[in-house]
Amino acid sequence: MSEGAVTVLVELTEEKGIEPVSRECLAMAGKIAGACGTKLAAVVMGNAIGDAAGEVSRYDIDTVYTLDHPLLECYESELYEAAFLQFYTIARPCGILMGHTLLSIDLAPRIAFALGTSLVTDCTGFEYGAEGLCFIKPVYSGNIYASLLIRGEPFMATIRLKSEEPALPSQKRHVEIVRVPVELDRTGAAIEVLERVVGENRGADLQSADIVVAGGRGIGSAEGFELLKNLAGMLGGAVGASRPPCDLGWVSPAIQVGQTGGIVSPSVYIAVGISGSMQHIAGMAGAKTVVAVNKDPAATIFKIADYGVVGDFREVMPAFTGAIRDRRKGGTTQGNRT
Amino acid sequence: MNIIVCIKQVPDPEGPPGSYVINPALNRVEARGIPPVLSLFDENALEAALRIKDTLTHDEVKITVMSMGTRISGAVLQKALAAGADELVKIEDGALESATLDSHATASALASAIRKKGKYDLIFTGRQAADWNAGQVGIGIARFLGIPAVTLAGKVTIKDGHAVVERVTPRGYEVVRTPLPSLIAVSNEVGALRYPTMMQRREAKHKPVTSWSTADIGLYGNPETRLVVKGFFVREMRQGRCEIIEGDTAATAGLNLAQRLMHDGVISP
Ligand SMILES: Cc1cc2nc3c(=O)[nH]c(=O)nc-3n(C[C@H](O)[C@H](O)[C@H](O)COP(=O)(O)OP(=O)(O)OC[C@H]3O[C@@H](n4cnc5c(N)ncnc54)[C@H](O)[C@@H]3O)c2cc1C
Repeated sequence: MSEGAVTVLVELTEEKGIEPVSRECLAMAGKIAGACGTKLAAVVMGNAIGDAAGEVSRYDIDTVYTLDHPLLECYESELYEAAFLQFYTIARPCGILMGHTLLSIDLAPRIAFALGTSLVTDCTGFEYGAEGLCFIKPVYSGNIYASLLIRGEPFMATIRLKSEEPALPSQKRHVEIVRVPVELDRTGAAIEVLERVVGENRGADLQSADIVVAGGRGIGSAEGFELLKNLAGMLGGAVGASRPPCDLGWVSPAIQVGQTGGIVSPSVYIAVGISGSMQHIAGMAGAKTVVAVNKDPAATIFKIADYGVVGDFREVMPAFTGAIRDRRKGGTTQGNRT
Repeated sequence: MNIIVCIKQVPDPEGPPGSYVINPALNRVEARGIPPVLSLFDENALEAALRIKDTLTHDEVKITVMSMGTRISGAVLQKALAAGADELVKIEDGALESATLDSHATASALASAIRKKGKYDLIFTGRQAADWNAGQVGIGIARFLGIPAVTLAGKVTIKDGHAVVERVTPRGYEVVRTPLPSLIAVSNEVGALRYPTMMQRREAKHKPVTSWSTADIGLYGNPETRLVVKGFFVREMRQGRCEIIEGDTAATAGLNLAQRLMHDGVISP
């Protein structure tokens, strides 16, 4: 393996804080660097990111590289690729880790093909043995895990959220901040951004929610989701969904939970009218308590749930919501124990 | 306008968990008892192409579906022809076993096939295949062909000789414009593949199907791969000890569930 550092592309939140998945990458990259005996670095890209670089330097790493340029204000495939390759030429990392995000889904393969190396996407871990470094990735709907060895340098992987305990700031070593000179213009870019349409940040609400009330195809309509919204509102939680409600336009795609949606690990996940496909479970298996409401007693969701009710959600949920509301108002509605 | 849609045939990703079996001798995963299907996002990709064909009425749009693999089922790919694709090109060869090809080898072989096909204005792929979910082949094909790639497409239209693409972003979408030819990797936001009519199903049987071997597309020997599978394993999924809360009626069960969750401190009263 080359002399270079294992390097994490740190993504910033809108407030220019560090994305949680990037903190997980820092933790995983730290372990890999320890196993391989290399240094650990981070690279931050954007416009006017001085403060963010300072924030990243609070972690236990050797170097923070900044790629600071006005044209990096928003993600654009070709500009980010060009800037990252300039960084690569200067820093020569031995490996690159990124969170598995909408940004890296586009950027990581571009870098891998440009560098002629290979990339394992959506990994949940790594193992380091006699043969070298392997990344672990769920395949075949998450039923099976593959351990994959990368031939070629640098090694590259994108890491699925909630795969690793996020790193915490702890300054143990002297951190060097290197400002990488970036030369960019649009002349070489074929793709032009015409418009950015920004909606509510529902995905982020979902990420931070302690209680998620999620609906599936069984909810049947946008109106059906109103029941779930009321409940989530009362509990101070957020609404999530399996893929069909998003595809069918009942709810915003931003609240999809699962392998190709958001990954959440709230204290409580209430799955209503969701069958429990592996692709959905991939997004919520980390929840502390799972509650399932489904009219089919054989639904897979009951296999991974802690509490369940078999029944039509249109009858179950109003009573469920009502009971909590009454109790909070000091009422004493009694159910019957059977 | 010539559109090529790359479609992979995969074991049904919604098959029951026991359907995917590790074959340690061959170091690969085999599907048991579940049918092959068109990979889901590739169906979305075909739908995106068909919508362009629907709207560009003044221009003749020809949609070629390309599929690569070892045992491509004609019956499965008929679905693509019935939905409205004009022809099918199969690249079938023992050396193209998808279980042993990585994204690099797959993209390189498909790019060779596309070059052989010749004229194209747009190439569509799905954002990722439903078996390995690598999500790299689209960008790889574009790289080998030297054309721009736009990923995570939720909507695609043609305007003034460009493709206008709505790309999914964390907080909504962005509209980008890319010159032709370009490659576009499609996400499910595009919408599900349309259902063919009985008539279309019948017509599909007469649409042209071409078969190429690796030699036909100028590949000799086994394609170069850069990822090595070191092994497969199964991990226990989350285990709940699900307690079913009962009640005389569904409503009572709901009420009992609420009280139980509050009693157990799962939800604060
Ligand atoms: C590559 C790939 C990626 C994917 N990514 C994702 C992803 O990120 N997230 C995701 O969720 N899916 C994803 N999917 C889709 C996934 O495979 C399933 O199709 C999907 O999760 C099913 O959603 P569902 O449970 O809501 O619907 P269904 O499986 O149709 O289940 C509906 C459930 O509702 C119940 N029901 C119906 N009516 C009622 C009622 N009145 N009251 C109570 N219960 C009722 C039914 O019993 C049933 O169990 C992906 C698929 C592929 C191939």
